[in-house]
Amino acid sequence: MYKKNKVTKWIVTIIMLVIGVMCIYPFIFMLSSSFKPSGDVLMKPFELIPSNFTLKNITGLFNSEYYNFPLWYWNTILMTGITLLLKLFLITLTAYGFSKIQFKGRDAIFLVLLAALMIPSDIMILPRYIIFKNLKLLNTMWAIIIPSCVDVYFVFLLRQSFISIPDSISEAAKIDGCNHFKIYYSIIVPLAKPAIATMMLFSFVWTWNDYMSPYLYISDIKKQMLSVGIKLFSSGQVQDYGAQMAAATLVLLPIIVMFLFCQRYFVEGVTSSGVKG
Amino acid sequence: MKKGSALERKENRTGYAFISPYVLLFTIFTGIPFIFSIVLSFTDMTYLTKMDSMHFVGLKNFIEMFKNKEVMAALGRTGLYSLVYVPLIMVVGFILALLLNKGVYFKNTIRGMVFLPYVSNMVAVAVVFKLLLGTGGPLVTLLGALGVKDPPLLLLSDKFALPTVAAIAVWKGVGLNMITYLGALQNVPAELEEAAQIDGANKLQRIKNVVIPMLSPTTFFLIVSSIITSLQNFTVIQSLTDGGPGQATTVMAISIVRSAFVKYQTGFASAQAMVMFAVVMLITLIQWRGQKKWVNY
Repeated sequence: MYKKNKVTKWIVTIIMLVIGVMCIYPFIFMLSSSFKPSGDVLMKPFELIPSNFTLKNITGLFNSEYYNFPLWYWNTILMTGITLLLKLFLITLTAYGFSKIQFKGRDAIFLVLLAALMIPSDIMILPRYIIFKNLKLLNTMWAIIIPSCVDVYFVFLLRQSFISIPDSISEAAKIDGCNHFKIYYSIIVPLAKPAIATMMLFSFVWTWNDYMSPYLYISDIKKQMLSVGIKLFSSGQVQDYGAQMAAATLVLLPIIVMFLFCQRYFVEGVTSSGVKG
Repeated sequence: MKKGSALERKENRTGYAFISPYVLLFTIFTGIPFIFSIVLSFTDMTYLTKMDSMHFVGLKNFIEMFKNKEVMAALGRTGLYSLVYVPLIMVVGFILALLLNKGVYFKNTIRGMVFLPYVSNMVAVAVVFKLLLGTGGPLVTLLGALGVKDPPLLLLSDKFALPTVAAIAVWKGVGLNMITYLGALQNVPAELEEAAQIDGANKLQRIKNVVIPMLSPTTFFLIVSSIITSLQNFTVIQSLTDGGPGQATTVMAISIVRSAFVKYQTGFASAQAMVMFAVVMLITLIQWRGQKKWVNY
């Protein structure tokens, strides 16, 4: 019986490993192709370690006048950084207000926000464009940052997590003379770290990968983000496969590195709080 | 009592102070745009910035839309895309979770491999896929070696482009479904399965009669969110095919952006967006009412 179980376990493992390798094959192909001369990319698609190793693809990316990868990289880092910082303050403050402070109309306001969860953000692209235009935010990174910061979803998620922290803890602090702001940053936020980490990780991924907002709201190529940049680059350099793969690697690298270190937190975030797609 | 109400007032003020930055931004950038998008769909506004030449035209946009063959075809393609995407991602995600939960070696590694596409950048990944599936790419070479005559260029073929795009979207998103199911599977009490085993139920019967009913709340949640994801497919399609070849992958999301930002028919684009919104609401509502019949809480 025991032996039979072990055999089954190995069979399932092998099946799952094959599926897993199929899932990551595009990434392996991309990574190894970025170090191949363009001619080799399609000639030797299953050659994992490049036989004609070259760094030309990567250095080429940093020397192009029009396709300004260093600048796009910097723009994306800056935009993602600001988004995460703003979101951290804005969403935790709001979630605290909706969970730990009893004020008039609280539940009614929260209900309105909840209803907004149902609105697909796609239908707001036109009116937002007009509003950005009138507020002179068009063609600035704020047109990407702000919509991401008003995402209702994480207010809902963090509120749930804050509610699960017993009120007795904050009551005790209140008796000791702490005001709400002190309770917020010295008690609630530290206790809700796992939920906040989930929010930050997913926000990082979604913001870094966002294509639609920069595509629609940013027209100046000098202010563009990586997602749009790589699309422009790959349509411009149709034949230079090595360079295309190097560019794709460059875009994916921070996310993949982060994922290798934080996989556990992603998984825990999904299973404990149910992050939607 | 008086003291209490002074305290209450202070509590009220603090509460508003905590939520007002968010509520203000939310009102300007979500609340107003939502109402605005409804209003726009009843106007003849053209060019995104010319507010003064705007007139109310009643239902004209909607009537025109249902007469417009291109838009109706796009609506049909959106439906077809969802019909490929939703069942595929639900079934594959469930099976992968079942297998992983059965007990495998290297569980975390495998889980990470399947989940990796979810966190990756769609546009960068699309550049890779275009090469993998394109002329002279590994897929065509492989199929050719297996004896398939004229292997199709999946993303460039009228017939295959839409299902291929949907399949790539499944590849990208299935890790999230799998992990959600995996978490739910760990909450299925082992005693229940054991009891069924003692009663003589075989593996398939146990899955059908114990596991699937126990997971029905998760399934319900995943179906609703997968349908909504399948309708918001702009990035997937724009990055892989730009809506082509011809119009083969021009779904509603692409059609809306084109009407608005290429043809500058703001009112008409808003009407299309409203129809999509109505579809999402309708599906959610039907699911919500139907869930009583098959979801066990």
